[in-house]
Amino acid sequence: MEYMKITGHRTHIAYVTARLTLVIVSLLLAACSTNVTVSGDYPSALTNPLPYHVGLVLNDSFTNYTFESSKEQDVTVMLGQSQTKLFEQVFTDIFSNKSRLQTVPSPSTSNTNNLDLIIVPHMEEVQLAMPFETRLNVFEVWLKYNLQVFNSEGEPIADWLMSSYGKTQTRFLKSEEAALNQATTAALRDAGVRLIIGFERIPEIRNWMEQQELEARLKGTQEDAKQLVESGDQ
Amino acid sequence: MKGYHSPQPYPFSTALFSLALLLMLSLAGCSTSTVIDEYRRTNTQLDLNKGEKVVIMGRRHAGEYETEPDFINCISNKIASHGKLSVVPEQEFLDSFYPWFEPRVAPLKLKRMSRMLEEPIIAERVKALGIRYMVWVDGNTETTDKSGSFSCAIAPGGGGCFGFATWDKASIYEAIVWDLKQLDEKGRVKIETKGSSYLLAVGAPIPFIAQVQSDACKGIGNRLKGFFLHDGSQQNNPNTLTPEPQKASIPRSNSGS
Repeated sequence: MEYMKITGHRTHIAYVTARLTLVIVSLLLAACSTNVTVSGDYPSALTNPLPYHVGLVLNDSFTNYTFESSKEQDVTVMLGQSQTKLFEQVFTDIFSNKSRLQTVPSPSTSNTNNLDLIIVPHMEEVQLAMPFETRLNVFEVWLKYNLQVFNSEGEPIADWLMSSYGKTQTRFLKSEEAALNQATTAALRDAGVRLIIGFERIPEIRNWMEQQELEARLKGTQEDAKQLVESGDQ
Repeated sequence: MKGYHSPQPYPFSTALFSLALLLMLSLAGCSTSTVIDEYRRTNTQLDLNKGEKVVIMGRRHAGEYETEPDFINCISNKIASHGKLSVVPEQEFLDSFYPWFEPRVAPLKLKRMSRMLEEPIIAERVKALGIRYMVWVDGNTETTDKSGSFSCAIAPGGGGCFGFATWDKASIYEAIVWDLKQLDEKGRVKIETKGSSYLLAVGAPIPFIAQVQSDACKGIGNRLKGFFLHDGSQQNNPNTLTPEPQKASIPRSNSGS
């Protein structure tokens, strides 16, 4: 009976030790990994909106984008939600009219919706430089996007590769997560700068805009001529 | 005389020596030296009409460093001088003018700023917010040297630290004042603050931290305040040894600890 009691105690101790070890190992593993859900706020752009109706296609791979790296340290950065917020804000500000779409519409749907342009952004690449890699007291983030731009007929106009950069310094912040969040938010904010200032400077977009202006002017002239003819007939 | 012992002079002298060392270290450890160079276009206070505001901005275009946001906030608070001056917080300004003052596109020269103000949308926002002066602060605080080491240990019976470490910090900043109404530069303030900090660990760690960045903020803040408020540069300035009359266009320096 005594023997059974001792064995029971030992089993219990072994069970508790095993659980404690598991907890400690999990804690140590968690301590070696960095998980960040990027949460940034992006201000409205101070710019004159372009007079076009744009369809912004944000698919699931963009809205749920997560960057994962297991180089020396496990790093997970969930930036889908934040980049969606930024792109929605920027395209609302730089165009007079914006519709959010889930997929690229067919040419007939684009015409029905009176869309002038369809923009499909893709996340191409994310690069991180963390203090444990660079031995510098700075977190750096590079983002590379590919913006595919189509006209209302669904024909491609431009394929714009756009990169942005953000950094922060650890000493401002309490944790690696906070530092990485700030660096990524800075990189997204920089992406916004490039979109707002750079979009209409893309040569293909500039050509397209010039063509639109020319067509509008031509249409106006034709209408004027038609009115003149009609008034002459009367 | 045999068997006579003096009342243990060694522990007393050791204690005295330790106390003196601590005192010396605390005095030396808390010291900073500051050099300020100031240049002003005029020796009178800058015009600031009712409703006109000042904004303090940090330069962040360089790859190897960036002017710390908390340093900019510190200067803004110093200049605001308990509400005597209206200072727009840096982040609020950046958000209001997004994307025009972000690191990638912020104007580095006054000429570029003038061209930027030719854009009606930007000029209108400047007017609406009442921004009259823009102060750009460029520089940072960094650790220039460190030496020594200390270690800490914890055992079931207790724990403690042992060792000695020292490090030097230097804050170098330059502030440039732009007048957005007249589109010219009103002056510059350059500050260089250095200080050494110590950490002595005998059982418990005892830090002697030199407030390098904080002193640089006080120094540059008080000087900039002097641009807008009468006698602002002399108020609560720990770096001013002897007040002297302000001379226009003459760089001057002072130091203190």
